[in-house]
Amino acid sequence: MRHIRLGLILIGLAGCSSAPGATPMSSPTPMPAPAPGDGKLRIIAFGAHPDDCELREGGCAAKWAALGHHVKFVSVTNGDIGHWAMAGGPLAKRRAAEVGVTSRILGIDHDVLDIHDGELMVTMENRRSICRLIREYQADVVISHRPNDYHPDHRYVGVLVMDAAYMVTVPFFCPDVPYLTKNPVFLFSEDGFQRPNPFTADIAVSIDDTIEKKLEAVEALHSQFFEGGANGHAGLVPDMGDADKVAARKKEVRDLFSKRFASTANKFRASLEGYYGKEAAAKVGFAEAFEVCEYGRKPSAEEIRRLFPFLPAK
Amino acid sequence: MNSRPAILALLLAASCASPDPVALMDAPQDGKLRIIVFGAHPDDCEWTAGGSAAQWSALGHHVKFVSCTNGDIGHWGMAGGPLAKRRAAEVQKCAAILGTTSQVLDIHDGELMVTMENRRTICRLIREWKADLVISHRPNDYHPDHRYVGVLVMDAAYMVTVPFFCPDTPHLAKNPVFLYSEDEFRRPNPFTADVAVPIDEVIEKKLAAMAALESQFYEGGCNGGPQLVPDPNDPAAVAARKKQVREEFIGYFSEPANRFRAVLEGSYGKDPGSKVRFAEGFEICEYGRRPGPEEIRKLFPFLPAK
Repeated sequence: MRHIRLGLILIGLAGCSSAPGATPMSSPTPMPAPAPGDGKLRIIAFGAHPDDCELREGGCAAKWAALGHHVKFVSVTNGDIGHWAMAGGPLAKRRAAEVGVTSRILGIDHDVLDIHDGELMVTMENRRSICRLIREYQADVVISHRPNDYHPDHRYVGVLVMDAAYMVTVPFFCPDVPYLTKNPVFLFSEDGFQRPNPFTADIAVSIDDTIEKKLEAVEALHSQFFEGGANGHAGLVPDMGDADKVAARKKEVRDLFSKRFASTANKFRASLEGYYGKEAAAKVGFAEAFEVCEYGRKPSAEEIRRLFPFLPAK
Repeated sequence: MNSRPAILALLLAASCASPDPVALMDAPQDGKLRIIVFGAHPDDCEWTAGGSAAQWSALGHHVKFVSCTNGDIGHWGMAGGPLAKRRAAEVQKCAAILGTTSQVLDIHDGELMVTMENRRTICRLIREWKADLVISHRPNDYHPDHRYVGVLVMDAAYMVTVPFFCPDTPHLAKNPVFLYSEDEFRRPNPFTADVAVPIDEVIEKKLAAMAALESQFYEGGCNGGPQLVPDPNDPAAVAARKKQVREEFIGYFSEPANRFRAVLEGSYGKDPGSKVRFAEGFEICEYGRRPGPEEIRKLFPFLPAK
């Protein structure tokens, strides 16, 4: 399934550079994308680097996947400067392999775009790539960073996805890929930045039942967390032959991320109460949170429960 | 000290040929602070941070002003290379007055864009200066060049710490503190004076710098006109125009002190805060290191004790 979809994307991308006569431009009216057949939800999440989606929506992804829904994580850059000691093609390949492992853990699809880490820019080419990916996945829900996160790549993923948010419904924008008749719901993943406006947890989800999978995914992103990524250093990495030290470092990483995922539950306890009731919300240990982007379809409270079918019925 | 601009020019010119940046770095290990200020045009840093700069340099700290464009359309009657050269000379005079170092990037005024090339240039300048503190415009100032300076500096804010971004220039192990200089724009969010700096003690230096930026203020810059400029052979008219510019700036520079009065009084006590006549304000950018009140005092060692 994934390989077929990747193939389609490649054909779609190749369409840009080939002669106009060879593309679907010859058909006068673009056709809408066919409705997905299996009645399951289709969620596509964009992160800047091969680890960002896993950290922000890995728990929900595992929950959707467990119910048979379709989730795809797209890393918009290849992460090729995201390490203190290695870089370039070898690091890009290593990180693509890491998200291959995490997508198996979480039960989802994934894709890594071949754009240099630290060099994502807001270009028409990139807007078209994002638009085509959303359309080809026939997404009901699209998740991205907010455009005021700390890393320029995060911010520009936010801008590019926002710039695609309405355009995915416009037939003659990227007419080579069938447009969506229904604008997806666009969500922002959580961050802590306050300016110009802080993140609002319109949706807060308990991930207590998938936290082990999420922590396993964090462990699989070895270059980033065990080894510390771009701001890491040799002092973090124990002798890999010393089983005790390796286990200690793994535990250190696990504890750090357990705390981080618990802090989301603590920060957005009020929002959790809205969805789970006061008593159940008080017991939530780990959470993920999302803000509804104004540029996509605006979901009602009822639709949010349909899109997040693991939220309890009101 | 005097050799720094020459070394930087050499670095910039040679960077394509990948020199050994370490050998060219001359940041002294003297325990002094290192501050780099980015402005859009050759007058912006002087205006937004000239008073603070004079106080840093008086204590032996190192301040560099970078104009990200050459200012070559910033006049009603002249433009192009001659104006760029004139304005570069003006900011050199200011540097002598304020005790700072000055650099003007050769990018056309009104044409600064958010490009990878410009992000790399900003990143290298911050790294080469080994900055503890970086100051820029906010990305919602009125002039596109101001806004894009803000965006470019924000886009460099984390990347200066990433070893394999611009691997030709050694990365910073410690992310600098990034600050925005003051502006009055309200949307999407107004400027917040996280730091309010009294500049009464150096106001004469700042006013002297404004006087040295003759093309911009005495002659009125791009929105000026010949009616502003008196006959240079009429000393009384020249003196009157100079006085007019000076008085305008006394008004401009007292305005932040009034606007940030509550911050001044909160930071330095009700009585001293209420007496400050002239001030500069800075907002902490969320993308750099986040300084607490103690670190702010280390970074602004001339702030009055509470």
